[in-house]
Amino acid sequence: MTGPFRVMAGTLTHAAEPVEFQFDGRRLAGLTGDTLASALLANGVRLVGRSFKYHRPRGIVTAGPEEPCALVDVLTSAGREPNQLATTLPLATGLVAESQNRWPSLRFDLLAINDVLARFLPAGFYYKTFMAPGWAWERVYEPLIRRAAGLGRLLPIVGDHAAPAEIVHDHADVLVVGAGAAGLGATRLLGAAGLRVILADQDAALGGGTLLDERWSEWRAAVLAELRHNGLVRALPRTTVIGAYGHGVFAALETLSTSESLAFGGLRERLRVIRAKRVLLAGGAVERLIAFPGNDVPGVMLAGSALAYLRRYGVAAGRRPALFVNSDEAYDTAFALADADVRPIGIIDVRPTSVAASRARARGLDVYPHSLVEAVVGRNAVRAVRIASADGHGRRSLAADCLLVSGGYSPATALATQAGASLRWRDGIAGFTADLDPKVGRVAGGANGSVGLAAAARDAAAAAAALAADLDRPLLMTEPVLPLPPDEPATPIAPLWEVAGRGKAFVDLQNDVTAEDVRLAHREGYEHVEHMKRFTTHGMATDQGRIGGLVGSAVLAAARGLPVAAVGQPQPRPYLQPIPFAALAGGEVREHFKPKRRLPLHDWHEAAGATFVPTGLWLRPLVYSRAPGWEPVLNEARAVRRAVGITDVSTLGKFDVRGPAAARFLDFVYANTFSTLAVGRARYGIMLREDGMMMDDGTTARLGPEHFIVTTTTANATAVLEHMEFHLQASCGDLDVVLTDVSDHWAQMAVAGPRSREVVAAVVSGLDLSNAGFPFMAASGATVAGIAGRVFRISFSGELAYEIAVPAAHAVTAWTALLAAGQSFGIAPYGLDALNTLRIEKGHITGAELNGNTTADDLGFQRMLKTRGDFIGRALSAREGLQAAERLRLVGVRPVDGGQRLRNGAHLLDAAAQGSSLGYITSSTPAVESRGWVGLALLADGRNRIGQTLRAVSSIHDESVEVQIVSPHMLDPENARARA
Amino acid sequence: MPAPSPIRDSGRASRVLLARIPIDVVELAAFGGRAANAAAVAARLGFPLPAHGRMARAPDGIALSVRPDRWLLLTSPAAPGVSVVRWQNACAESAAATDLSSGLAARLLAGPAVREVLARGCRLDLDPSVFGTGQTVTTIIAQVSVTLCALSSGTFLLTPTSTSRHLDEWLAATATPFGLDRIAAQSFLELIGDSTV
Repeated sequence: MTGPFRVMAGTLTHAAEPVEFQFDGRRLAGLTGDTLASALLANGVRLVGRSFKYHRPRGIVTAGPEEPCALVDVLTSAGREPNQLATTLPLATGLVAESQNRWPSLRFDLLAINDVLARFLPAGFYYKTFMAPGWAWERVYEPLIRRAAGLGRLLPIVGDHAAPAEIVHDHADVLVVGAGAAGLGATRLLGAAGLRVILADQDAALGGGTLLDERWSEWRAAVLAELRHNGLVRALPRTTVIGAYGHGVFAALETLSTSESLAFGGLRERLRVIRAKRVLLAGGAVERLIAFPGNDVPGVMLAGSALAYLRRYGVAAGRRPALFVNSDEAYDTAFALADADVRPIGIIDVRPTSVAASRARARGLDVYPHSLVEAVVGRNAVRAVRIASADGHGRRSLAADCLLVSGGYSPATALATQAGASLRWRDGIAGFTADLDPKVGRVAGGANGSVGLAAAARDAAAAAAALAADLDRPLLMTEPVLPLPPDEPATPIAPLWEVAGRGKAFVDLQNDVTAEDVRLAHREGYEHVEHMKRFTTHGMATDQGRIGGLVGSAVLAAARGLPVAAVGQPQPRPYLQPIPFAALAGGEVREHFKPKRRLPLHDWHEAAGATFVPTGLWLRPLVYSRAPGWEPVLNEARAVRRAVGITDVSTLGKFDVRGPAAARFLDFVYANTFSTLAVGRARYGIMLREDGMMMDDGTTARLGPEHFIVTTTTANATAVLEHMEFHLQASCGDLDVVLTDVSDHWAQMAVAGPRSREVVAAVVSGLDLSNAGFPFMAASGATVAGIAGRVFRISFSGELAYEIAVPAAHAVTAWTALLAAGQSFGIAPYGLDALNTLRIEKGHITGAELNGNTTADDLGFQRMLKTRGDFIGRALSAREGLQAAERLRLVGVRPVDGGQRLRNGAHLLDAAAQGSSLGYITSSTPAVESRGWVGLALLADGRNRIGQTLRAVSSIHDESVEVQIVSPHMLDPENARARA
Repeated sequence: MPAPSPIRDSGRASRVLLARIPIDVVELAAFGGRAANAAAVAARLGFPLPAHGRMARAPDGIALSVRPDRWLLLTSPAAPGVSVVRWQNACAESAAATDLSSGLAARLLAGPAVREVLARGCRLDLDPSVFGTGQTVTTIIAQVSVTLCALSSGTFLLTPTSTSRHLDEWLAATATPFGLDRIAAQSFLELIGDSTV
């Protein structure tokens, strides 16, 4: 047994396996199976932290995720992780934990002065105190408050150091939340009926309340054995359902066991997204505190939690415990402690009589009936409790070293209300239960207001039968696996929320909210429970006010003179407990953040030394060099202008359009005409959006009377496919047309330059490539390096050029054959930068000009718009505003001084560089053959400004360049090269 | 009981086996939604066309239906373009056949942990009681389009070739904790050998 307060063997701890750990620099030992909290208690450590606002000493209050106070920093090699719950943190060898919110030390904390100044720091004080001067809030007050208050310090751990995470999608007929007597029994029945069940429980050990009652051990073991043998049941311990999202979707955070964490590369938490036809909410009930002066002194603990520490870990909360209770359930703790030779020195029961009190007296325990705790003596630990009879007489002091409090149990309703349930007040338990729509699921057991394990199990069996019937899988059995140990007869609870007195009586230990703060909220007009919550911060932060939430509502109800039922509780939203951002991101981080689309020739480009650039999802070769600067780019471009180059244009969108009405469909979705296109010819097309603006451009070739191949820009491929599919289905549903995305099927490569004909002719067979036989804008199927492919005589560079398409699986064959054929001409592959350089000189547009704000007329395509027949965008392209002379129109720009460069985004101003911007440069590049830069720009009334001299001003570069406005067709305006 | 997988077990304790499957893919689409016309075309080539969401076995391949009035016809690889021309010749004026052999990459996942792996990227319920042998669906896994088909030998995946390497990388990273073995390309016909509807 490790630790002086370890008084017996625990059901979860292994006495033979000690574990060393550190807390605030102290070396301590616990047992395998301990939590940090149970190990600290076993060692007699009571003081574990300082409170949020007043820096009051705080201890361990609960034994689970509802813990408000025992939050610690955990130090690992990866850094410091704040706000870890000592009550759920498994003890591991070498664990190093530190207390939070104190300086210089936990025992002596300078900011404990706040506690003395409390009357100047009531709820909401910062809204009133720090009003002036206005500038000081962000610069002085808020930084000061943040330093003084708050919980742990967060050190962001990002990038490759971030912990791994994953999201898993699960499906079930029924999600059972909570594996206590209710959840376990129901899961067994549902699984046996052939339903797929996921059983999730926040605890590392399945069993819930049965883990605290020895009589239920056999029953629990028998149920778990059955579940293990049913392949339809998945039991998930350490899994907290943290949100209900409607339509049967739930989120659950699973904490991995050490061994599984190792197998998953250090993964600690897994977010599960569970889709279930029905849910069974069997999360039990959470014990609540009572507000009385000093109810936060280390050593004040919930009675049920003290029972959990004893049963699960063999740890006694103290040596001379006193209990302060208002129901019979809390007496179980007294009896269990007495059985372990830790004799309670007094049970203060607010009720005059009760069955349990009689049993306690029969065991020789002192019961103080109809009595209250008025105060706690001690600051860093409980030294005594002052009690009095409920009518204020008989004051006395009990020399207790801990005070175990029970204000009753509040059913877990948060998930149910997220799933749309309304709350109903139940006098019998002095709490709310949730009425859930049966189409969503059922609530059962303690969560449904059952008192006692056997009652919970019976309630859940009935709920299971109803669920099974709803899902058309009637239960095959209804009997429990073993007879249920009977519940003790009990006297009903007497609600007790607050004991009036001097000193702070907390309703929210985590946020330092007192009963008086709640009354202040009421006095200030924040009467609604949601307003009170926001004014006081009651029920916020990591514990979501689980142990004091209803107490705050009751204090507010008393202030308003209403029953608690009329005041209600704040609506709890997801998540029910803190969740790491990493878990929300899941596995879609780093290299999996977004998909990468790779070219069929990706490996070839890589081997050729390409620098890749992400464009959309694609990885494209930017330039076949790692050297900086423009020279490698210009070398690639010069090869095209002087002899021949080859580039990979497989990223273009490519859509097959087939069917008797294919031409009619294209006439409708493109602004120009395709029905007049001859088979074996290609045509440049422009596509408008419904609003009349330019959407995309590209060439479309007619390969057969009823077969077209459409190409789109790389950037717009997906949008154009969606656009065309939408209109095919929504506005052209009667046309016999089939549209198929063949973008990935066809690899496409452009061979461009004055020698390109000779290169292509060497590789393509069965095609007369002479200018007469295969003129500019010709298109044909052909055999390319022995592969059935296609040849198009189209040009983006402005040179004589061909685009060759082959099935992607054969891309390397065709590409290397073309390279071999071009070797004697000095063929070189060119990347995206050279491609851009060539097209800017030629005045061809891409995404920079097709920016969603330009019309066909703006870009010089007005004459292409059909004058007869309808097409998408026709009506709205005729809007008056789109004809305005001052619209930005495409022009070319060149610096007057050939030694100066252009900048994309530079604004064009009149020569005096005065007035507002007349437009801006969209694309710019050094010219390939001539000295200096060339660019494209969108310029107000641009076509009428050709010949003018303006200034291109880039403020971020602090540059102002005199530029001449020229035609956008800066190279071979007659297009003689492409037609050569 | 699932049939024994034709994927050769490497002898390691792999719980996930991943194979690349070379195939030809032709998309058959009926003009104007006249599915009977497409069925007549397919019948000429010995392919029964399955109902939506189903797979149908033919003597030399399988047909999948993942969108209305369209079918993916999968056969063992032939010379480039040969498979599609066979279909185009059978189509006459009633349907369109488009070659996607290079546009879609095929993978087979087998082994006891396949569903665990796919659950890390796929939102659909792939439990055999819901997604049994012969069922097929198109969905998104690891942010990319994937067509899934449940074969008796494992789970068959089709994904666009441009994102197939991304999916491979994701599968490799995700399956590693379960024990992943990549095995040599399998013959498509051997793979679907005993798959029946």
